[in-house]
Amino acid sequence: MNRGYMGKVLIVDLSKGEFREETIPDEVYEKYLSGIGLAAYLLYDRIPREADPLGPENILGFVSGLLTGTGSLFSGRWMVAGKSPLTGTWGDANCGGSFSPAIKRCGYDGIFFTGMSETPVYLYIGDRKPQLRDASHLWGKDAIETEEMLQDQHGPGARIAVIGPAGERLSLISGICNDKGRIAARSGLGAVMGSKRLKALVLDGKKRIVPYDRKTVHKLSRTCNKWVQFQPPLGPSIGTALIGALLRILPTAMAMDGMVYKMILRQWGTGGMNQMSPEWGDSPVKNWKGSSVDWPLKKSKSADPDLVKKSEYVKYHCYSCPLGCGGKCSMTGKYSETHKPEYESVLALGGLCMNEDTDSLFYLNELLNRAGMDTISAGATVAWAMECFEQGILTLDDTDGLDLGWGNASAMVALIHKMIDREGIGDILADGSRAAAEKIGRGSEKYTVHAGGQEPAMHDGRQDPGFAVHYSVEPTPGRHTIGAQLYYEMFQLWKRVRGLPKKLPFQIYHKNSKYRATENHALETAACSKYMNVVNGAGLCMFGTFLGIKRTPTFDWLNAATGWNKTPEEYMEIGMRIQTLKQAFNIRHGIDPRANRLSDRALGIPPQPQGANKGRTVPIEKMMADYWSQFGWDPSTGAPTGETLARLGLSGE
Amino acid sequence: MSYTIIETCTGCGACVRICPARAITGKKKDVHKIDGDLCIECGACGRVCPSAAVKDQFGHVCVMVKRSQWKRPAFAGDLCMSCSMCIDACPVHCLDLSEAKGPKDLHGYPYLKEEKACIGCGFCEAECPVGAVTMVVPVQQETPKKTKPAAKTASRAAS
Ligand code: SF4
Ligand code: SF4
Ligand code: SF4
Repeated sequence: MNRGYMGKVLIVDLSKGEFREETIPDEVYEKYLSGIGLAAYLLYDRIPREADPLGPENILGFVSGLLTGTGSLFSGRWMVAGKSPLTGTWGDANCGGSFSPAIKRCGYDGIFFTGMSETPVYLYIGDRKPQLRDASHLWGKDAIETEEMLQDQHGPGARIAVIGPAGERLSLISGICNDKGRIAARSGLGAVMGSKRLKALVLDGKKRIVPYDRKTVHKLSRTCNKWVQFQPPLGPSIGTALIGALLRILPTAMAMDGMVYKMILRQWGTGGMNQMSPEWGDSPVKNWKGSSVDWPLKKSKSADPDLVKKSEYVKYHCYSCPLGCGGKCSMTGKYSETHKPEYESVLALGGLCMNEDTDSLFYLNELLNRAGMDTISAGATVAWAMECFEQGILTLDDTDGLDLGWGNASAMVALIHKMIDREGIGDILADGSRAAAEKIGRGSEKYTVHAGGQEPAMHDGRQDPGFAVHYSVEPTPGRHTIGAQLYYEMFQLWKRVRGLPKKLPFQIYHKNSKYRATENHALETAACSKYMNVVNGAGLCMFGTFLGIKRTPTFDWLNAATGWNKTPEEYMEIGMRIQTLKQAFNIRHGIDPRANRLSDRALGIPPQPQGANKGRTVPIEKMMADYWSQFGWDPSTGAPTGETLARLGLSGE
Repeated sequence: MSYTIIETCTGCGACVRICPARAITGKKKDVHKIDGDLCIECGACGRVCPSAAVKDQFGHVCVMVKRSQWKRPAFAGDLCMSCSMCIDACPVHCLDLSEAKGPKDLHGYPYLKEEKACIGCGFCEAECPVGAVTMVVPVQQETPKKTKPAAKTASRAAS
């Protein structure tokens, strides 16, 4: 029976150079879906307790989504999972491009690497048996050079994921790259790949991906596509910035409909928020110490969405995406082109460091993509170093003469080069701000902003406490792509899932209500986590799901692709199971969930004296406990209770 | 399920050369064999076999078709959403995305880059959710009035 998934995974033992195919029973897909759920199911008891994330016992899994290749839209996301060397927790990262269907076309829902190779290798899968091939000639090459060389060798059909020099040098903030500028950046899993001396995966399989009912999948896709294509002209980008300012001034907020965000994405990409976001307090400024006052429009115009768009010469769509938020941009200087800098990169390397130099944003974007280093963590670590410099904790002697004054773009470029090369102070910063503060000491810890060791993204919990909660409670701490009050509004899950609070589009509410730890907020955050596990099991793009559950029919696509007849509530239960398993993974590895709480500063402790989020504090302890209760985890420790584990059919051992 | 080869096979090897999944093996002049695990049911072997020796997944014997008469994808730009699903579906990688259409529309659109490589499998058509791909016999091979001599000119052009 065709059910959209391939029913098999490949296990590669890099120490022995051996391959093993493993058939996955249907029941596993019914309980965990594919994608992130399958990865959690397989890695939970196979990564031994106390495993060194950079040691041979860690397992690195590349998984596709259940819906990938079935004819559903937005289903081109692949995920990589393993124990994170950055946080010591469950780690995963998510990426688009064209790599996700390639995993399935090799006949697998996932490819898992154990052990460690003695010399650099890459995995090649074509029509015949998988092979590990020598990658010595590729070691040291940047991600794009490597991809180009492998592409030349294996032809245009090969789909390639690689690490750059950052991953090779075990930078704890390194990721895994594909399609010359997409990166699965978070959780530091590039270092895990580097530790295994696995330079790349080259996939060129031709297997067909067959859903249960392609006609119905396509019908659902056509309806969804109509919503995506609806695009009235939006006018110049200054309009978005002014709306941001208005949202800051008003005492009330308005529930958002994802169609609005979709239109922004279609017009400019994620960068459409470059100026709006700092205005209304969504983006942190100056290492989270500053505010909208420090990053006014005349500074944020360095990344004006219209300005960025000027250099865009072609749109970039991930596989199966009708929206196309990405783009390719031309630039001058050492590199002639780059994938359009994303919102996160622009704000982390821009406002967070007070950097107004547009050219440096483009250059650093390309440089970090090639190095395979996370732009969020890199930017946040530089911002932290700048504050340490301001405070006199770091001096010119420490920085090899670099003046790390706020916004010094040329110093930033030089510093990031050092981080990639692990040279001088760059060697210390290459592992992110928490690790750097531990090495430097002298009170520098006070200026780090992280959750469990991961730098949070450019969305401020003091503006939307939902972000603060998810940063703090997710089994992959510091993650911004799971939930927020804003995301809940856009997912519109109450339209399909019983018992969830309604937040009708454009409904007006008082801003103060966002900061109350209510039962409804707990329901909302829990729903976001459950739903995103379903989405990541399906391999869907979060931006697609922002259109709302009626317009982007995740549950219906899943039923049509698999032939199941599950209710939305049953899917949410699957999401809950995956989340609980990931949390149980952390407990098994000695993580105290309470310790992953976001740093004080980013929670408004103490509150900011000025700006969009003036006077705001997130009641985080209560919100975390409430969230854990929603999952049936112990509200005082965050550990899943025996009862909950049993109810979800998990052993917890 | 998979395509199969029956005894009428003369072992000419035409199918081996065209099979994009390299699923067919056999010695010259011997009856060839299709590996069912590798076969992706593209039908190319059936379209090239001169001895009516290939059966499709339903057990029907395939009919040889002159390559010039094989259907090729035609794209409807107004329906296309640039999602590249068709490009990914193609087993011989003969489709590609164009440059941006123009300054007003920065999207690239799929086109048949390697016309000669196309094996007419129709996977691109089957996987496009919005019906933007239609398999048609290439236009230059047809005369406007669909008169008989057309087939002859076409076959000569192809040989
Ligand atoms: S149907 Fe296609 S894949 Fe299968 S044997 Fe024939 S040519 Fe090869
Ligand atoms: S699959 Fe259809 S919509 Fe997508 S790029 Fe191809 S022709 Fe266009
Ligand atoms: S019919 Fe379509 S999928 Fe098949 S070979 Fe030709 S272009 Fe590729």
